[in-house]
Amino acid sequence: MPTDAPSVLAKGVAQAAPIRPTQPRRRRSPALRKAFPYLLVAPAVAYLLVITLYPGLFAIYQSLFVVKFLTWTWAGADNYTTILQDREFWAALGNTAIIGGISLCLQTAIALTLAYFAYRDPLIRGWRIVYLMPMLFMPSAVAFIWKLAFNDGRVISDLLGRLGLIEGNVDWLGSIWLSRMTLIVADVWQWTPFLFIIFVAALQGQDQEIEEAARLDGASWPKIFWNISLPMMRPVIVVAVTLRGIDITTMFTNVFVMTQGTPGGATETMSYFIYRQGFRMFNFGYASAASVLMLILTIIIAQTVVKRAFHSGKS
Amino acid sequence: MASARKSRGESLLLRYLVLGTWALVCLLPILWFLSIGFRPRTEVITPQPIFWPTFSLDAWHLLMSDWPIAMYLRNSVIAVAGSVVIDLILAIPAAYALARYDFKGREDIGFYILSTRMMAPAIVAVPIFFLFKTLGLLDSVWALMLIYAAINLSLVTWIIRSYMLDIPKELEDAARTDGASDLRILWEIIIPACLPGIITAAVIAAIFAINEFLFTLLIASTANAYTMSVALANFTGGSDGIIYNAIALVSFIAFVPILILVILIQKHLSRGLTMGAVKG
Repeated sequence: MPTDAPSVLAKGVAQAAPIRPTQPRRRRSPALRKAFPYLLVAPAVAYLLVITLYPGLFAIYQSLFVVKFLTWTWAGADNYTTILQDREFWAALGNTAIIGGISLCLQTAIALTLAYFAYRDPLIRGWRIVYLMPMLFMPSAVAFIWKLAFNDGRVISDLLGRLGLIEGNVDWLGSIWLSRMTLIVADVWQWTPFLFIIFVAALQGQDQEIEEAARLDGASWPKIFWNISLPMMRPVIVVAVTLRGIDITTMFTNVFVMTQGTPGGATETMSYFIYRQGFRMFNFGYASAASVLMLILTIIIAQTVVKRAFHSGKS
Repeated sequence: MASARKSRGESLLLRYLVLGTWALVCLLPILWFLSIGFRPRTEVITPQPIFWPTFSLDAWHLLMSDWPIAMYLRNSVIAVAGSVVIDLILAIPAAYALARYDFKGREDIGFYILSTRMMAPAIVAVPIFFLFKTLGLLDSVWALMLIYAAINLSLVTWIIRSYMLDIPKELEDAARTDGASDLRILWEIIIPACLPGIITAAVIAAIFAINEFLFTLLIASTANAYTMSVALANFTGGSDGIIYNAIALVSFIAFVPILILVILIQKHLSRGLTMGAVKG
């Protein structure tokens, strides 16, 4: 068998020989080597630039005009000076913060509570599927579910009436806070699962031995959760809540279907404000100015909160 | 011992009380909405809500006769499937570069890709509307496909990148010493090794695309390009008012395939939803 080795080697060489001419072509020049990773990311980046940078520049340009159908009249910074004094604009900004903020806090609290109870439960797979379901409906469908439940079908009023909590019919669109609350309920119902799924995965991924050790020391489960698990999963919470927070600030579908901003603009979010200015009132220049301001806000948030969240999440 | 068992029993009671309550919160509205889909229209909006309606296939007949529901479904499938294919073609090489090569500006490029996810659709809605108008793409499935691809590209790239980072470098090094080119390594080693990540990314991108509402509303102005998501808003139009039982039925038609897809990738869901930041 010692003769085998040389023959294999020889065979290898013999095989390599005919390939050799192609070899130099395959080995790239140093310049190409260096450019290679850029070539790999280029198509994706180019695609995203067309869909983000171009609209960004277009919006900045258009925001300097008053657009009436096909005629663009130069307006300079007029749109911006008007918008900064526009009470509806500031109201939309405030509504987005209030509705989104309350909704996000509720979702986080509920998802954490559920995750705490569920992650050690033998039926966790079942809970997960059931809790996921609201998230799997189209957002427009969810908006209709709650529109029917609150307003058109009067189901919530009826149920609360049977419990003796209220009398008669509540006009949910009639008051600022009730109207906002319907949006919050719809958002919490649909999106709590998003946070729940992530929190449960984080808890299950944690080192069980630390919990066991604390358990042997006589610590109770709530104490373990509060003092050990929660601090350990902080980076995960930051990432998940940041992602959810970003999505909440773009809230549109529920407003469009359920409230259309009523009463008196109390439920108009930034997205709906831009939509209404642009596609209902055809003030495209004005809508673009609002878009630019919102874009600036987004970039600031992205550069600070999100960048930090994803760096801590990676570690 | 007895006290320990007792305290455990109490916490179990509390646990199932909490978990069970939320399960009801999730399920009851869904079941009630399902019942809306199978009742006559006269029993949807009534002075007193009807919880035990008469069974009826009215909504189904309405969908079949008056609404091109098959066309909405086809539009959804073409636009969503096409967008996922575009995403994978663009994202896999990009993710490979971000995961495996050390090059100047890598962090910034990666973060730029991520940050496009944060852009509110409303911000780009007006310019995109004008762009597609100039291109003559308004009211077409192709426009929707391009938009969905753009919305999900960041997500798909980051999910796949996260899975690629997990592949041991030794696998590639062995192939590289055998003289395999970088692209061959990507095709024959990396892609098969991170297939679960690619599937997860594809499923999550598909769900977000199915759900997309604002752009579809703006771009699709006739039944030519209406998708399932926006078709719902269509049932509100006209003198008939909102046709809730048809809406409910369409919602469930879209819900079932999504549920199946999600059950298939259940294990990878948390990782996918956080764009790879949380390994579940």
